[in-house]
Amino acid sequence: MEKVKCDCGHVNPYGTYLCESCGKPQMEDNQTLVDMRYEGVARRSQTYRKTFIDKIWNFFSSVKVGIWIIVLLLIASAIGTIFPQEMYLPPGERAAIYYEQEYGILGKLYFQLGLHNMYSSWWYLLLIASLGVSLVICSLDRVVPLHRALKTQRVKRHTSFLNRQRLFSKSDDVIETAEEDIQKAEKALREKKYKIYKEDGNLLAEKYRFSRWGPYVNHVGLIIFLVGCMLRFFPAMYIDENIWIREGEEVVIRGTDGEYFLRNDQFIVEYYDEEDERFRDSFERTGGQPVVETYQTSATLLKKVDTGTVGVGTELEEVKQYDIRVNDPLTFEGFSLYQVDYKLNELAEFTFTIESNLDDYNGDLSNISFEVDLYNPEMVYELDGGYRVEIFQYFPNFYINNRGEPDTRNRIPDNPRFIFEVFSPEVDHEEERGELSLVGVQINEPLVDEGEVNDYSIRMIDVDMNHVTALTVRRDRTLPILFVGGTIFMIGLIQGSYWHHRRIWLQNRKGVIWVAGHANKNWHGLKKDIEFIIEGTSIPMPEDQTDESNMIEEIEGVKGNDDATTK
Amino acid sequence: MKQKRLIIRSIILVVMFAAIGYTLISHFTEDRGRVDRDDIAPNFAVVDTEGNLLELADLEGKGVYVNFWATWCSVCRDKMEHLKNNYDDYRDKGVVIVAINSGEGSTVIQRHMERFQYNYPLYIDRGNLVGNAYGVMEIPVAFLIDENGVVLDREIGPKSEEKVIQSLERLIPGN
Repeated sequence: MEKVKCDCGHVNPYGTYLCESCGKPQMEDNQTLVDMRYEGVARRSQTYRKTFIDKIWNFFSSVKVGIWIIVLLLIASAIGTIFPQEMYLPPGERAAIYYEQEYGILGKLYFQLGLHNMYSSWWYLLLIASLGVSLVICSLDRVVPLHRALKTQRVKRHTSFLNRQRLFSKSDDVIETAEEDIQKAEKALREKKYKIYKEDGNLLAEKYRFSRWGPYVNHVGLIIFLVGCMLRFFPAMYIDENIWIREGEEVVIRGTDGEYFLRNDQFIVEYYDEEDERFRDSFERTGGQPVVETYQTSATLLKKVDTGTVGVGTELEEVKQYDIRVNDPLTFEGFSLYQVDYKLNELAEFTFTIESNLDDYNGDLSNISFEVDLYNPEMVYELDGGYRVEIFQYFPNFYINNRGEPDTRNRIPDNPRFIFEVFSPEVDHEEERGELSLVGVQINEPLVDEGEVNDYSIRMIDVDMNHVTALTVRRDRTLPILFVGGTIFMIGLIQGSYWHHRRIWLQNRKGVIWVAGHANKNWHGLKKDIEFIIEGTSIPMPEDQTDESNMIEEIEGVKGNDDATTK
Repeated sequence: MKQKRLIIRSIILVVMFAAIGYTLISHFTEDRGRVDRDDIAPNFAVVDTEGNLLELADLEGKGVYVNFWATWCSVCRDKMEHLKNNYDDYRDKGVVIVAINSGEGSTVIQRHMERFQYNYPLYIDRGNLVGNAYGVMEIPVAFLIDENGVVLDREIGPKSEEKVIQSLERLIPGN
């Protein structure tokens, strides 16, 4: 890799297209105009291909690769939305069954390819990571040489640099007043807020150079944003959990390391009034389904008192009470508890009574009843009149397991079954056995030998339901980082979109005036600037070499992007 | 110049790949529990179905096998059977089995005890206070606590009798 020495004496790195100093094209390309992208500097990736590190670097430095990564990400992200992701399945559904059942063969394939959990799959994360790497390397590889080129540009440029600019002309003859004309133009340029650089009676006027850094500032913002997203994988930075709390229950708040608890004091749902005239149309659309107006959890936040020992004797002190509504979370120590869901009418308590099956029974059992808390039933219920009911077995969510035994799936009373043992006043509960019966919802079977009956049976007379609230626990310390990243992103975008780098070269070559202009966008504006400064001088108006007829100036503003714009 | 460039490029790549690698590894490896290997086991106090109080601190000098379970968890039941078969042997060797139920009511636990006739006490953890302090997310999970109160290991999921014996063996004081 040899350096390239220009006729002007400047030594350029290998891969240079336009001399960094005088602008003379170093490669023949048979085009009428010079390619001004990155000021014609050598992008470093193109120059060194020797070591392994260089190869990796060059791979990620390619804009082509970057665009492919973006395309792949877009396609993958779109595929991830075809069917719901696993976390959005209805509670209790198993992914292995749900997708096939709901969406057929495609659903099965979706599950088998792991697309049901795509956004946290290793390959998706790797794609995001490579986008980050590509952003960093692409930007570094271009911004460093571009910065150097703009900093070291010389006022006096090579003729073949000037005459191959898009806006160019030179006076046909020697102009006597050349020096004065250039001085006049300089005054006008200063009026237009151009920065003027002079060398041997030649002049370079430049403004809005900072807009060239827009894309890179934008990329810095994007990289900060991606870093913020990456930090979300660390629980210290980002917590997003769900908790379900029944009315009256105290539950640990996940993510607080067992320090904080929440009690659901009351959960309420309010519906829109179906009788109200104003809502009639809306109700017709829902087909008469009730529409929730608001739901709310009255909650108490509790903190564990640290005594060094947990368990028996652990005290929870109340910190605060709050009514949690949608978009009105309870917040503490960086955590926010959001109302997200609820489940109404979960079984909570059964009320039973005893009935006699004896024909000759003449007592009165109608006043006897007992309530059984389905979450924490008592062992024994001592009833009026000397009756005693023991819970022999309790299965909150009854099923027959694969060994053929009665069992419970979990501790949620979705299908509660009791085996009660009833002792009448005549029976000594310490010496003798009582009568057994299996009782559940619409189930009441005496557990006796065939042909026999129990003297007493237990009958359910009332049910108490409970509401369950679902809250999201969130702590997000990445928000400030995302905000900073987003702000920088916007600054870069504005910087690169609302200002355009403009340069005008005026050269006095032995009385012949050469004019060239370059803008990285909005050529029309540049032309107007030039028109303004040559007024009253004999400097010729440059012609647009991309357009012989000069008729389609208006749409040219959108063409001619020089540097990498936002990817 | 080239040398310098290579060094700069290497540093940038290494930093980026290290950050990405660390993120992915920490995302895909099993999280360290709130209480895990080499931690000092937090002290807890629980009562069994008879009302007897047990405090972990009182078990200093003995190996403690703390097993979190529930009556509705059928794989826990196998493990409880394995523990039942070996409880007596290891009690004599200075190993205590502490079976802590995850948040169920005392009636359920008491009846479970009667049904399966465990020879070791079943402890009640109302409100999952101990389970939360130990970061129990799934059951069964066992914490092996040595005679000095240091967690030797955290064992998640069902275990064969062989594995349970291996764990109990590790807990014998002085082993």
